[in-house]
Amino acid sequence: MTRSSEAVAGRKPQSRRWRRFVRGGGVELVLLIAGILFLWSVISQNIPNPGRYLPSPVSVVLSSYDVIWKGLLPNYIGQTLWRLVIGSVIGLLLGIPFGIALGLNRTVSDMFYPIMNFFQSISGIAILPIIVVWWGNSEKTVFVVILYTCFFPIAFNVLTGVRSTPMILVNALRTLGASRLRIVKDVLIPSAMPHIATGARLGIGYAWRAVIAGEMLAGRRGLGWMIFTAQDADLTAQVILGMVMIGVIWIMIDRFALRPIEADTIQRWGLVQR
Amino acid sequence: MPAKLVVDRLSHHYPDEYTGEDVHALDQVSLSVEDGEFSAVVGPSGCGKTTLLNILAGLLPHTEGSVQVDGREVQGPGPDRGVVFQEHAILPWRTVARNIGHGLEIQRLPRREREQKVQEFIDLVGLSGFEERYPHELSGGMKQRCALARTLCANPVVMLMDEPFAAVDAQTRITLQEELNRIAIATRKTILFITHNVDEAAFLGDRCFIFSRRPGKLKATVKINVPREQRIWKDLLSEKAYTDPRDEILRLVREEVFDDEE
Ligand SMILES: Nc1ncnc2c1ncn2[C@@H]1O[C@H](COP(=O)(O)OP(=O)(O)OP(=O)(O)O)[C@@H](O)[C@H]1O
Ligand SMILES: [Mg+2]
Repeated sequence: MTRSSEAVAGRKPQSRRWRRFVRGGGVELVLLIAGILFLWSVISQNIPNPGRYLPSPVSVVLSSYDVIWKGLLPNYIGQTLWRLVIGSVIGLLLGIPFGIALGLNRTVSDMFYPIMNFFQSISGIAILPIIVVWWGNSEKTVFVVILYTCFFPIAFNVLTGVRSTPMILVNALRTLGASRLRIVKDVLIPSAMPHIATGARLGIGYAWRAVIAGEMLAGRRGLGWMIFTAQDADLTAQVILGMVMIGVIWIMIDRFALRPIEADTIQRWGLVQR
Repeated sequence: MPAKLVVDRLSHHYPDEYTGEDVHALDQVSLSVEDGEFSAVVGPSGCGKTTLLNILAGLLPHTEGSVQVDGREVQGPGPDRGVVFQEHAILPWRTVARNIGHGLEIQRLPRREREQKVQEFIDLVGLSGFEERYPHELSGGMKQRCALARTLCANPVVMLMDEPFAAVDAQTRITLQEELNRIAIATRKTILFITHNVDEAAFLGDRCFIFSRRPGKLKATVKINVPREQRIWKDLLSEKAYTDPRDEILRLVREEVFDDEE
């Protein structure tokens, strides 16, 4: 009697987490994933030569034993993430101030708006060939592509955010005697926050795709490179493993790095609806 | 003593960007507001009330006529003229307390003094207990109180208010009007209050300026001789000192509206 009630008391926080998981649709999600894996297994069992065309989920895990056990996978993931982090941090550091600076002046921003829009539409993969011509298959090429890919969506969104700041808020601060610098700091930047967050999420998302593409064409090591070389060696299971890793890692980046930033600022201010 | 706020033969034209025609918004407006006086501006929609306020605030440059505050010509916005806008213009990313203290922060008042002042005005407008809330957690009336407190707290020489209570319900509006009257007694500010509600103008104003339709001209001035302390809605409704000038204002405003339909 006593023991069992103690056990219940001890499990309490866990059961609360469990309840939140259930209420958040966690059970349905797990079932859905299981269903997809099942469907995948069924398909792969009913096609000729599944090892080459579509290995089953189990054999993806088993035949990747190699990569996982030799410690290559963590190494590749680390390499890819490192490139992403460096590229997007520099992209953010350049893109945010650039977008704000352009947004300050109506004439300047009207002029740059179509130009920014133009460049943000050319994906990193589309500029990769010319960068390879300039810098060859080097680390520099991968890096430039990442930087290019995240810079424009970030700067473009920040510019849009600054431009869409309600004039009345700027005027309110002017009548309180605020300087230009203070208006930038207290009104334009916070008002552009949702756009800055969107830009960062888009930019880093595009950069994540670009880093994979870049590694395929120009990198050494990394997830993209792994997929590419695995395909050369006819190791389809490893190709699929690489693809799955790309998706899983992105969801983790989004869940643990990008979303909390959004929740911490703009949701608290009531700028976006939950 | 010279008036706090002097507008002399002020006219304003807006160029229309599309048709090239110009919109004549204000025509030869002259008026003055004494130190500590509460003046109300009434007029039909589109007669140039907001235009006048924006020029007084220095947000809109004026080219014809002159506008002086405390004897100095207005050139751009400044903390001597506080504005409460037609829509809520408080910052969504600042708490109530930080919004209200924003003017003092800009004036670089030391933190301790600032917090003390802010608390004073939070109490004055009845927002105690909501200091750490964000604007989206407030009702419309509370937001407008917050905006009012922010302007008051910066301690301007003149307060310019553009239909600040237009967007709240009738009941809240009555409360806010009585509260503003109380604040006017407590702070003795010089106020220019824009509205198109005749009752509101007569309830709050020491003097009402009635504007004609566009182009806005000063059509008449009506004095309301009710001491501030006696301005409470339930007592005032049967008070001749209030109803007579109110009916007069109503008549003057109606003429403008009916002219419209000819
Ligand atoms: N930026 C602008 N450009 C061109 N015309 C304008 C501009 N702002 C106002 N106007 C015109 O000037 C006239 C006066 O406008 P204003 O906003 O001052 O009116 P108002 O008296 O405040 O009206 P309301 O009571 O509806 O707020 C209107 O006819 C309006 O169309
Ligand atoms: Mg108006």
